[in-house]
Amino acid sequence: MKNKIKIFRAMHNLTQENLAQAIGVNRQTILAIEKEKYIPSLDLAFKISRYFGVNIEEVFIYDEKTPTLMPA
Amino acid sequence: MKKNTFFLIVGCIALALLLIFWYSVEIHAPLLIEIAFFVGIALVYLAKRKVTDIINDERDVKITEQATMRTMQVFWVVFCAFSIGAVMEILRVPAFPRQAIGTRPPDILPPRMMGYVQLGLLCLMIFLYVGFRIYYAKKYGDFEIDEE
Repeated sequence: MKNKIKIFRAMHNLTQENLAQAIGVNRQTILAIEKEKYIPSLDLAFKISRYFGVNIEEVFIYDEKTPTLMPA
Repeated sequence: MKKNTFFLIVGCIALALLLIFWYSVEIHAPLLIEIAFFVGIALVYLAKRKVTDIINDERDVKITEQATMRTMQVFWVVFCAFSIGAVMEILRVPAFPRQAIGTRPPDILPPRMMGYVQLGLLCLMIFLYVGFRIYYAKKYGDFEIDEE
């Protein structure tokens, strides 16, 4: 799942640490989401988009090719 | 409680358990170390609940879940294989009806060896868990380099 967190962070002049603290996760989690290494839960995706004051679709772009069930 | 204080407490508990283990070997009282182990782990869990600067977010939970699941998937097979061997010890009957009374067939797994095998299994479980944890942490971006 692609996302625009990095762009929104830049627009709001936020560091990964700031954003992580604001939504209650580790900085590494924000980094992993930005690098598309981790797909956030719906709850976390909503928290991030609400924090930026936009709809979830504006931050996260659903890619048909992305597996919904992540194989181990 | 700070994270470092928690690690210090865990270190002290581990050291205390090591000393109790040594003492229970000396006096040959396995129950002592067994009870101490339960108490030690309970103390670690209690201390962990007091830590304020560790954030366990959903990615951490996912890494732990996946690592635990994979560890169990591998470990239960090895553990069952060993346990079946141990059950055979319990169910053992003389192989031949004319076998002389009082003679025992050789032990498949002597009791002393069982201890060693269990120690090996314990180490295997720890290594498996650590290995899988590193694998999943890497998979979910733990070692990503930040360009910020």
